[in-house]
Amino acid sequence: MEGFQYIWAAMTSVPVLAAAAGGVLWGILGGALPGISPSIAMALLLPFTYDMTPLAAIVMLGAVYIGAEYGGSIPAILIRTPGTNSAAATVIDGYEMQRQGRGGEALGLSLMGGLVGGLFGLVLLTTLTKPLAGLALMFTPPAHFALGLLGLSIIASVSEGSLLKGLIGGVLGLMVATIGSDPLSGVTRFTFGLPELLEGVNFILVMLGVFAIAELMSKIGENDDEDEAAVRRSRSTRLRLPSLKKLWSLRRAQAIGCVIGALEGPVPGTGGTVSAFLAYNEARRWSKEPEKFGKGSEEGVIAPETANNVVTATALVPTLSFGIPGSNSTAILLGGLLIHGLQPGPLLFTTNPQVVYGLFGGLFAANIMMFVFGIIVLGPCIWLVSRPKPYLSAAILALVFSGVYSIDHSLFDLGIVFAAGIVGYVFRALKFPTLPLILGLVLGYMIESNYRRALLITNGDHRVFFENPVSLFLLICAATVIGIAVVAEIRRYRKAAAAA
Amino acid sequence: MRTSLVVAGLLFVVAVAYWFGADAIPKSRLGGAVGADGLPKLLAVTLGFLSLALAGQAILEARKRRGGGAAAAAGTGGPINIAAHLRAFGLIAIGIGYIVLLPILGYAVTIALLLVAVALYAGRPPSMGVALFGVGGAVVFYLLFVKLLQVPLPAGFWPALFG
Repeated sequence: MEGFQYIWAAMTSVPVLAAAAGGVLWGILGGALPGISPSIAMALLLPFTYDMTPLAAIVMLGAVYIGAEYGGSIPAILIRTPGTNSAAATVIDGYEMQRQGRGGEALGLSLMGGLVGGLFGLVLLTTLTKPLAGLALMFTPPAHFALGLLGLSIIASVSEGSLLKGLIGGVLGLMVATIGSDPLSGVTRFTFGLPELLEGVNFILVMLGVFAIAELMSKIGENDDEDEAAVRRSRSTRLRLPSLKKLWSLRRAQAIGCVIGALEGPVPGTGGTVSAFLAYNEARRWSKEPEKFGKGSEEGVIAPETANNVVTATALVPTLSFGIPGSNSTAILLGGLLIHGLQPGPLLFTTNPQVVYGLFGGLFAANIMMFVFGIIVLGPCIWLVSRPKPYLSAAILALVFSGVYSIDHSLFDLGIVFAAGIVGYVFRALKFPTLPLILGLVLGYMIESNYRRALLITNGDHRVFFENPVSLFLLICAATVIGIAVVAEIRRYRKAAAAA
Repeated sequence: MRTSLVVAGLLFVVAVAYWFGADAIPKSRLGGAVGADGLPKLLAVTLGFLSLALAGQAILEARKRRGGGAAAAAGTGGPINIAAHLRAFGLIAIGIGYIVLLPILGYAVTIALLLVAVALYAGRPPSMGVALFGVGGAVVFYLLFVKLLQVPLPAGFWPALFG
């Protein structure tokens, strides 16, 4: 009961509400700018929180995280450029809807999915923090490895009709992930003597190249009338929030997003990206219309957007309960807590309940504000995307270049973006799916480091992966996902052979 | 089929080169049972097999098409549009120009040039509107990234000239 009093006090506090509003607006802007990840947007605000009260400061940082996760979907849908890593899954069907002149509808679905996911995650954060924190503790290196494999198994079902090409893309992504210092021994691998590669290849750079640069190259290369027609259609596009009936019809996809976000969020090292891809995949598997996925499916937009917004709340569980930041964003939030003399951990609930429960209240307000500000900024966004294509292409390129430079202030990073852009363009030209490449890159470090850590603990005994119940369960799930995809591939092949 | 075989060949070369790269990774006692070269070598072998499988698949499909006659051959796709690909790669050339000029001319001028160059390259005819777009866009980007976000973007030779 005391907790709810603190929640209410925060929700009626003007400084907390102002902090939430400022944070959400900043987050939407940062998330919508390719290259400005949620963590960068949060980090940029960190110095401004010194003079604030601890609660307002933490609420502001949390609100940036919420706003950025939604903001990332705006360029993903409108210009095929995920503003954040976790918006990469939204690109698939969101951009396809935009191409069909249904961009406003996709943005509406993203916004509603974000609201539903954010509020659901918050309910979980508020009521189930301790039990969920227990789940996070069960994730030892074998389970992390198995979780990574489960993520990688999605390649089998996002390979757009060519499992072989998808697997090649996944292997190439894993290869790029091995660049840099070895996670265990620290020896350098494939750095070619370049100090810029010591920390590996930042996958946001590859995403920007593979998605944004490759898209711009294709548009300029093709100079097709179809895109011009799509732009003309989008000029008349208005934000279309889904009706309650529509939302009800998409309940299965939203429920999948909620469940996956709830399970993935508290697990350190996974975050919104893995959740979004898993939710997308599961939504397709359970959909009554799986053939629509990749061709502008509404479920394909709302499932990942719900999942990554659930994560904005549930990712805070290990941070608040154990002081374990599961991602860059929560690490910055942890930094914000420490700056204000708050030591995260089980004691935080007893020593500073007003901050913990006040944060829950502030984040609730932030989710509502995300919905309101989301509606306000969507109009200008739709106007922006309907500008003449040459101007739009130029502005996107300038935005990507400026955003990339702002990550590490490095011109070398721009070179990586170009290289990734060329790879993405070649992939498109050869009809290789690009998502497996991204999945391999994102999950490579997690899989390798945890596999080797697990073997280090057991002196090379592989039985640990089957003896650990969480690991075993996840491995069975991964095997099932792969098995279903392989059977589908064989059926498709036989069908094609019979038709010929 | 030829394109698929060339791609498969290139991927095989990448796999071999990657294997040698993995083999050259220094050994360390801290690397554990698998070692720093364990995964890279596994990936090299996997890519090698997959590239061979891709080549095999291309050959099988070509045979099937030949067996299927002219009707099936119609489904092999059109000729490669070299001009379109070259035009696409022109964008990369503009980007390289941006990287070269950025430290010299500074962010504000280079971003204006980039905006104008891409707008013209993408098909906009030269006009006052394009020039205004470049200047206006540069002001917006400068205010957003340099002033608001405080990103230390290169100033170029201007401070030395006027300082």
